[in-house]
Amino acid sequence: MSKPSDLVQGTLDMLLLKILALEPMNGFAVSQRLKQVSGDVLQVSDGSLYPALHKLEQEGWITAEWKTSEKGRRAKYYSLTRLGRRQLEREADKWGRLSGAISRVVKLKEA
Amino acid sequence: MRPEHWLYTIPLRLRSLFRRTQADQELDDELRDHVERKTEEYVGKGLTPQEARRRAQLEMGGVEKRKEECRETRGVNWLQDLLQDLRYGLRMLRKSPGFATAAILTLALGIGPNTAIFTVIDAVLLRPLPYGNPQELVTWRGNESQLDIDDIRSQSTFFSAGGGVNPEVLTYTGGAEPLGIHAGYVDAGLFQALGVSPMLGRALSPEEDRFGGPRVVVLAYRFWREYLDSDPNIVGKTIGLDENRYTVIGVMPASFAVPQYDLDLFVSLRVVYAEAARYRGVHFMNTYWRLKPGITLSQAAVGMSTIDARLAADYPGEEKGRHTVPVPLQQSVTGDVRPALFVLSAAVWAVLLIACANFAGLLMARASARRREMVIRAALGGGRRRLIRQALTESTLLAVLGGAVALPLAALCVRILVAAKPAALAHLNEISMDPTVIVFGLVVSLLTGLIFGLAPAWSVSRADVTDTLKQEGRTATAGPAGHNFRKALVVVEIAVALVLLVGTGLLIKSFARLRTVDPGFDPAHVIAINVQLPNTRYAEIPKQIEFRRELLDRLNSLPRTQAAMVGDIPLNGSEVTHSLAFEGRPPVAEGDEPEVDTFCVMGDYFSVMRVALRAGRTLTPMDRENRPLVAVINEALARKFFAGQDPIGQRIRWARETGPPRWMTIVGVAADVKQYSLAEPAYPAVFTPFAQTNEAWRRWMSVVVRMPDSSASLIPAVKHQIWALDSLIPLNRVQSMDELLGLSLAERQFNMSLLGLFAGLAMILVAVGIYGVISYSVSQRTHEVGIRIAVGARRLDVLKLIMGQGARLAALGLTVGILGAFALTRLMTKLLFGVTPTDPVTFAAVVLLMMAVVLLACFVPARRAMRVDPMVALRYE
Repeated sequence: MSKPSDLVQGTLDMLLLKILALEPMNGFAVSQRLKQVSGDVLQVSDGSLYPALHKLEQEGWITAEWKTSEKGRRAKYYSLTRLGRRQLEREADKWGRLSGAISRVVKLKEA
Repeated sequence: MRPEHWLYTIPLRLRSLFRRTQADQELDDELRDHVERKTEEYVGKGLTPQEARRRAQLEMGGVEKRKEECRETRGVNWLQDLLQDLRYGLRMLRKSPGFATAAILTLALGIGPNTAIFTVIDAVLLRPLPYGNPQELVTWRGNESQLDIDDIRSQSTFFSAGGGVNPEVLTYTGGAEPLGIHAGYVDAGLFQALGVSPMLGRALSPEEDRFGGPRVVVLAYRFWREYLDSDPNIVGKTIGLDENRYTVIGVMPASFAVPQYDLDLFVSLRVVYAEAARYRGVHFMNTYWRLKPGITLSQAAVGMSTIDARLAADYPGEEKGRHTVPVPLQQSVTGDVRPALFVLSAAVWAVLLIACANFAGLLMARASARRREMVIRAALGGGRRRLIRQALTESTLLAVLGGAVALPLAALCVRILVAAKPAALAHLNEISMDPTVIVFGLVVSLLTGLIFGLAPAWSVSRADVTDTLKQEGRTATAGPAGHNFRKALVVVEIAVALVLLVGTGLLIKSFARLRTVDPGFDPAHVIAINVQLPNTRYAEIPKQIEFRRELLDRLNSLPRTQAAMVGDIPLNGSEVTHSLAFEGRPPVAEGDEPEVDTFCVMGDYFSVMRVALRAGRTLTPMDRENRPLVAVINEALARKFFAGQDPIGQRIRWARETGPPRWMTIVGVAADVKQYSLAEPAYPAVFTPFAQTNEAWRRWMSVVVRMPDSSASLIPAVKHQIWALDSLIPLNRVQSMDELLGLSLAERQFNMSLLGLFAGLAMILVAVGIYGVISYSVSQRTHEVGIRIAVGARRLDVLKLIMGQGARLAALGLTVGILGAFALTRLMTKLLFGVTPTDPVTFAAVVLLMMAVVLLACFVPARRAMRVDPMVALRYE
């Protein structure tokens, strides 16, 4: 499965969960939002987005439902489940500790 | 995982399993929707619709590949894939029935006979004997007298039990006709040694096994079932044997049999035949011994040599020259069949090897042919693991189908094997396929599928998409490297098949040699009826002679028949031996006298059997009681003991007789007769008249009758005459001498046919294998051949080109095969007769045959190549 090389393993899952935690949206919107909020730093190809979404769905963290959009076109909308919310908390917590630790190391003064 | 989790995921998984199409459709819609939105976005940014769409699709990076990735996230995929692969595999097989049939048959032919032979080997060699702790049981070649058994038992410190058995025919008088049944004259130690308890009642106890003990009998299961209707209350009842009543004390379980004999019941030797039990001179009991725990075979051997020495010192006349070598019972029981089964199983493995090689070759050829298909599938998003899995599913499917065909084939082979029943397998009535063997067959077929399916699958999965697609249609010369592997397989096949064929050739030649061996008599139209005079009414010699003489008179008065009697007929493997002393020669130390076969005859035996008389005269009715004792010797005896002398008129006697010497004058020399088998030389033998013997124990004999033709119409008349004399004499075995001759060859014929069958199978498989390789090569080289013809190559050159390719493979395979055969045929020396294991004629014939087969298999595709139309060939690719 093609994965964005500069994304830490497992981080993509957390980002997707976080984005879907804000509001349910379809795949296309997720990709737009990802680019938008990360200021184009996090480049997730369209190709890897969908397998990642399907994996989250299989895990039971998000659920999907077909809705008709504002422009009257059918699309698959993903939304966070209770399980997904808990998973997001765990992941965010882990991420917080990890990034804190890394930044502390990076900021060490050279003697 | 938490239940909550399952709550969410199970419906999803079920959905993707059962509502696959819908799930796929939704996936498709979702991805297409994305691409459309993206396209709109780019159009909004001012791109042309075509350019916008292209960019959107590029970013998605292959819709099919993404779909496959999404599908893979569904957990139940492997099951779906498996079902899909199976469906696809079956469809592919249906579409190429030729390939499928070849592959399935190849495997079935390899695995089926293999499983069958394994069944027999399992039954004969591997399955432990049906006795308690069978690894403790030993036996030895030489027989013992009852007194020896007692001595060994009391002197040995290393056997916990031991006993003997001697098969005898007794008359069972419980049925409509007197019936000869096979009794074991045993001593009580036998049951103890074998460690099997009766199913009903008890075994013979030492208190009953004594001189003058009670007449009791232990029944074998089959006798109890067939003659006593499985009477559950039989213990305590009596049955009639030889005019005596015996009380049944026990019934042995169905699994019980004394090694090597098929016996109906067991009685105490001391009770039934006391004079034999008191006599040390005749060693007639087969003995079985149980080692004490912790005692090794070599310790027992050392111990026995001490006992041998002591017995020889105490009883030089009877026990000199003892050399007891204990062997494990299992080895002794299977000893005779071992070489044959070994060769057969080697043959079976060889055929299996060839079959697997062929199967692998077929799979590889197919993999090459489907390379393009695989590469396209890879290009369309088929993952590598997924492709390997599919290839494996297909090969495993083939293997399982092959196995499914193989099992009934195996069952059939077992039935044929058991029906043909070589004498040595006679005691194995109950061979059946047991689950282990079926599992064995299935495992072999599965492994074959996995191992030989993996290589081609691997090579395909590694194929570089662009390279292969570019290469397609440009393969002007040799195919992929896999082709070399296939060639190597064919070389191995040819070599293995050659070894098999040489082995078969040697057996055929041995058999042909054996058939030309002169048995020393003319078996045509001669029947032999085994008669045993019951001890009760014929204990005295005059009674016996009276019966014999009267019977011969009656039989010889039948029209156009000629009858005589002999103690033991030829090719029957039984005889009585005596030590011999010669008049006028210095006496020989006791125990060192020459042993010769001895036969009593009555009537003109030599004339009935058409045994040629080399010198002197035959025995006549005048050589009777109270007349000078006479004997006829055979040529082997004359050669060995009267070299350069005229034996006629010389006198001989039995060295061990008691009382005044009974010198017998040699009156004739008869031609040698094969007493054991055609393959064995004739041993020195002495023929004496029944009327002059003083050995009352010679109560058995065979009546030999030369009939006017081969019809059996006179047999009832002969039987009638015997029963007219004594209605209580059992006659169970009536054999024609032709039958007996055939029987003596049966085992060799069996081995030969079986090995021949395997060699034939191997040859067919090799032909198919080489045909496959050359065909494939021709199909790959069509383009090249087209060019060659276009630039002026003659058809003959093309033929030479292709045939040359086959011939090179053949030459290599045959060379390897000849070396292998030289190394391996030595192992079958025991099965050969009159042929050396490296017989050059056989080798040459087999090499020529193989060469012909290989060239024929090459010729078919070569002819196809020869007919290539250059125009078609060049346009075709």
